[in-house]
This record gives sequence, C-alpha cells and structure tokens, in this order.
Amino acid sequence: MAASNNFYDLYRHGSLGLTLTDALDELIRDESITPQLAMKVLTQFDRVVAETLQEKVKARLTFKGSLDTYRFCDEVWTFLIRNVTFKMEGNQGTVVADKVKIVSCSAKRNEDK
Amino acid sequence: MSKSIHRRNIGSSQKDLSPVYHPNWPVPQVQNFVATINLDCRIDLNHLSQRARNVEYRPRRFNAVIMRIRDPRTTALIFSTGKMVITGAKSEALARLAARKHAHAVQKCGYNPKFLNFKIQNIVASANTGFNIRLEGLANRYHLLGARYVPEIFPGLVLRQVLGISAATLLIFTSGKIVITGAKAVRDVKDSFARVFPLLLDFRFNSDSNSTRNHR
Repeated sequence: MAASNNFYDLYRHGSLGLTLTDALDELIRDESITPQLAMKVLTQFDRVVAETLQEKVKARLTFKGSLDTYRFCDEVWTFLIRNVTFKMEGNQGTVVADKVKIVSCSAKRNEDK
Repeated sequence: MSKSIHRRNIGSSQKDLSPVYHPNWPVPQVQNFVATINLDCRIDLNHLSQRARNVEYRPRRFNAVIMRIRDPRTTALIFSTGKMVITGAKSEALARLAARKHAHAVQKCGYNPKFLNFKIQNIVASANTGFNIRLEGLANRYHLLGARYVPEIFPGLVLRQVLGISAATLLIFTSGKIVITGAKAVRDVKDSFARVFPLLLDFRFNSDSNSTRNHR
C-alpha cells in the first residue's frame, strides 16, 4: 500500500531539502539506514517544512522584475523573472538577481473544482 | 447652421440606408481583430503546456491551451484538434503574423502544423461622433430597424445591421461614442458606420461636457 503524501514535495528541491537528500543518500550508501527509512524522513521533512512555513514564518518579502516567461500546467505556476530586486522587511537591504525561477503550487492541496 | 452636407431623406423606406461619406466626418478606428486558423494536426495539450513558454492550461475550466506572445501582443487559444483562435491583433496583417508566430511555437514543441484557412472572424472598432446623442429618440425612430435600447439592462443602444452577407453591430452611447463589432472586413466596419452616422445627426444634443467639433 503506497503511502499517500498530503504535502507537496517541492521543498525537497530547495537548499535544505537537497542537503538532507545528500545526507540520507550517504547514510544509505554506508548501510546505516534503509531506503525506506530515508523515504519516511523525507516525507516527515515535507510535512514539517510546510507546517513551519505556514505557521511560524511571518516575514514578508517583496520583489520586482521583468517577467520573461510564465507557465501554468498541472496546477503549478512556473515564472522566470529577470533583473529582480528583493526587498525584505524594514531596511534590511536589497538583494539583486539576474534570473529568478519561481515554482509555485496551490496553497490548497486537494482542490475539487 | 448651413446644411452643406448632403443627407439622404430617410422617409418611410427606412431599410434603404445608403452609406454617406464626408471628409469632415469621424472615421472609426479598428481596435481588435479575431482570427481562426487550422493547424491540421492533433495536439496533446498536456505535452504542449509543458514544453511551450507563456502558456496556461486549466483542463477542468477550459479545454484549450492559452498562449500569449509579445509581438504582436496577442493571445491564442489552441485546441487539441489543431484549431487555433488568435485575438488581440490591431490589423489583419498583424493577426496573420501573430498566427504564424503561435504556429511556430507549436512547431518547436515537436508538431507539424500547417497554415490552413486563415480567416478573420471579427473586427472591433470604436468611433467618436463628438456630440451627445438622444438614445431614446433614436430608439423610437429606428425601432423597426431593430434598434434595442433598454437602459436598465445596458446603457447603450444596440443596432444590428445586416446587409447581404456582411453584418455589423453598433453600440451607440449617450456620450456619442460608438462601438462597431461583428464585422468580418474593415470595409464593412466603415460601411456600417457611414450608414448609421447620418441618422445620429438628427438626435444630437449639446451639453456642457460636449466637445466643440462642428459637423457642417
């Protein structure tokens, strides 16, 4: 019986998720843990990151740039934005980037239209 | 006020409206062209929405991929049958060019589109008479011509013009602004406007917010 995951796994592609995956892969190679346990860890990771971001994170960020391309397919938005300036709350400074790729999923996981 | 323009006497044969052109009279400006084209190839919309850029696909809402390009600034609806609708172009030539660009985008995703039966389906134009219009009076006079004016439903008077195969619908507003839609050729747009404009002159009224254009 396949475990149905109620949370998006897209956070696995962020810096944190990738590092975790690397660490787990190493542990599997060393046969310290089973692949099934690694799967469980990643599933747990999905849930925790989603919940934490939703409940604990209150910081706001604004950004401006030029939209290069957009795509909406399988309920997932993908944006490619150029010459972006990010502004954090207060005068914490600005971050500039040449190219930014944003992958975005709907906040409501199981939508029935 | 000299009536140096030559106006046809409308009289009882109201169906017999001939177009009148006059150098000082306003000219409708075309705003939008809608065209259709047959690419003549089956398209997997899921595959297309994943490969192409600037696309949206919501199968539960509408069974077509919506693609936009910047130059000419247009939107295309692409169906799995290979048929495509292009909207937003400002001229017939631009509509054709846009269709080619959209077809090229489809081609780049691995399909082999043709370019069959390109046809302009609708032209939208706007015009400004420069004077306010008494829609109530206009509706009364041209009720038999099919003029519809129900201000509780819509603030504009709707006049459907059917002449042979060409048809156009005019939306006439109190401000004197006109919208011409439904025509399939620019000639029909100008023709329709030229037939209707003389009728409007009878129903103009001046108010302070009016422009001071003269129509002599």
